Amino acid sequence: MSVEQLLQTIAGYLNGNDIFTVNTLGMYWDGFVNTVQLVFISLLIGLALAVPLAIGRGSPLKLVSKSIWLYTYIFRGTPLLIQLYLAYYGFAFVPGIQDSWLWFFVQDPLYPALFAFTLNTAAYTTEIFHGAIKSTAKGEIEAARAFGMSKAMMMRRIILPSAFRRALPAYGNEVIFMLHASAIASVVTIMDLTGAAYYVYSRFYAPFPAFIFVAFIYMALSFSIQGFFRHLEKRLLVHLKPNNR
Amino acid sequence: MADKAIPLEINDLHKRFGDNPVLKGLSLKAHKGDVITLIGASGSGKSTFLRCMNLLELPDAGEIIVHGDPILFKQTRQGREPANWKQVELIRSRLSMVFQNFNLWAHMTLLQNVVEAPIHVLGISKEEARERGMALLGRVGLAERANYYPAQLSGGQQQRGAIARALAMEPEVMLFDEPTSALDPELVGDVLRVMRELADEGRTMVVVTHEMDFARDVSSQVMYLHQGLVEEAGPPSEVLLNPQSPRLKQFLAPNR
Repeated sequence: MSVEQLLQTIAGYLNGNDIFTVNTLGMYWDGFVNTVQLVFISLLIGLALAVPLAIGRGSPLKLVSKSIWLYTYIFRGTPLLIQLYLAYYGFAFVPGIQDSWLWFFVQDPLYPALFAFTLNTAAYTTEIFHGAIKSTAKGEIEAARAFGMSKAMMMRRIILPSAFRRALPAYGNEVIFMLHASAIASVVTIMDLTGAAYYVYSRFYAPFPAFIFVAFIYMALSFSIQGFFRHLEKRLLVHLKPNNR
Repeated sequence: MADKAIPLEINDLHKRFGDNPVLKGLSLKAHKGDVITLIGASGSGKSTFLRCMNLLELPDAGEIIVHGDPILFKQTRQGREPANWKQVELIRSRLSMVFQNFNLWAHMTLLQNVVEAPIHVLGISKEEARERGMALLGRVGLAERANYYPAQLSGGQQQRGAIARALAMEPEVMLFDEPTSALDPELVGDVLRVMRELADEGRTMVVVTHEMDFARDVSSQVMYLHQGLVEEAGPPSEVLLNPQSPRLKQFLAPNR
C-alpha cells in the first residue's frame, strides 16, 4: 500500500468525525515526534553521562564519590517538574545571559527541558549502575586480578559487562519512567504528545477522546519499550538462568 | 641470590590482619616440576600464604621472587605497597590461580572464560587463543560444554573449566586454593584426576588442600602450617607417613 492510499484510507475513516481530523492527527503526530526525540536524546546523553559517573561514584577518592553522590541525591530528591521550572524559567534570569550566545538555547523551551531531563535520568541511571557495579561477585573480581588484569581492563572487560546485564531490568523501568515523566514538558509550552492532547481537548472541549487517544499512544510506546528490553534480557541474561539448555 | 631457574621463591613472609598476625615468617622454594602442598587446620594461614604469592593479599614483609624477578615494594604511610603495579600484573599473569569457588566469569561462556586473559592480558591473537582454549577444554573433558555458561555447569565442571582457564595462561607456576573443598564428594575425583595429570607432565604447582591422598601421592614437598609458621616440611614420605610433631600426628589421625 502506498502512502497516498494509506492517507486516503485514514481520511475515509475520519469522514464525519469532528475531533480526529487530518489536522488534529497531524498535531498528535508532531507531538509523538517531539516526545520521542526529547526522551530519546535525554536518555542517550543521560546514559553516556551515567557510565563514568557510576564508576566515579564508587571511587576511593572521597571528593569524587561524595560530589557524585550529592548530585544524584539532589536530582532524585526533588520533583522533575521543579527541575524543569528551574531550567526553563531560572536560566533566563541569570544576569547577562540574554546578551550571550547561550540565549539561543535558553529562550527555546526544548533545550532547558532536554537539560533537566538529561540530568534527571543521568542521576537515576548512575545509581542503578552503581548498585549493579557494587554487586559484582567478589570472586570474579579476584579472578580478574589474579589473571593480571589492570584496574581499567577489569572495569572494561569484567565489571561493566556483568553490571550492565544485571542493571538491564531496572534500566528498562527507568526508560519507561522517563517516557511518562516527559509528559510534563507540555507545561513549558513544548508540543509533545501531552501538549497535543491538551490542545485538542481545549479546542473541542472533549477531554475523553483527546486524552484517552493519547493514553493509548503512550501505552503502545511503553509496551514496545518493554518488549525491546525483554528481548535484550533474553539474549543477555541467559547466563543467570541455569539449566535452560 | 636471585636464581633464574627457580620459578617461585618466597622468603620470610609476614602478614597481619589488624592486630592478628597470620603469617609469621614463611619461606618456600618451588623448583621446576615441584608440587608443593600446603596442609594445616583452618586458620593456620595456608590460604593467606597462597594468596600472598600473587599479591591478592599484600604481605607486610618478606620477598617474593618469580624466576629471579623479585617483586619490588615501597613504603607508604599505609604500609608496604608494590612499587610498580605493572610488575605485579605481569607476575600475576605468570602465576595463574584456581580458586575454591571457581570464580569463573558468569557472563561469559566457558570458552570465553578461557580465552579472556590470554587475549587481553597476554595479547595473543583471537584465533590462536580459541584454538588453544578448545584444546584445553578437550583436555579437561569439557569440549562439548565450550558454549555453556558457568551457571549451566556442575561444580566439578566449573572447576575443571577454571583449571583450563588457568592453563591457557601457560603459567610458570599454578596456584590451587582448596580446589576441591566446595565440591560434592562425587565430583572431587574428576578434578583431582586433572590435577594429577598436570603434576605428571611436570607442571610447577603450589596446592592448598585437605585431600591427604592427593598430597601423599602427588607432591614432591608437603608443608604443614600451624598458626602462621611451618611446623613440619619435607617429602610426603616423611611428613605424612612419619610425622614428628604431636600436633601433625593429631591433624593426620582421622586419615589413618
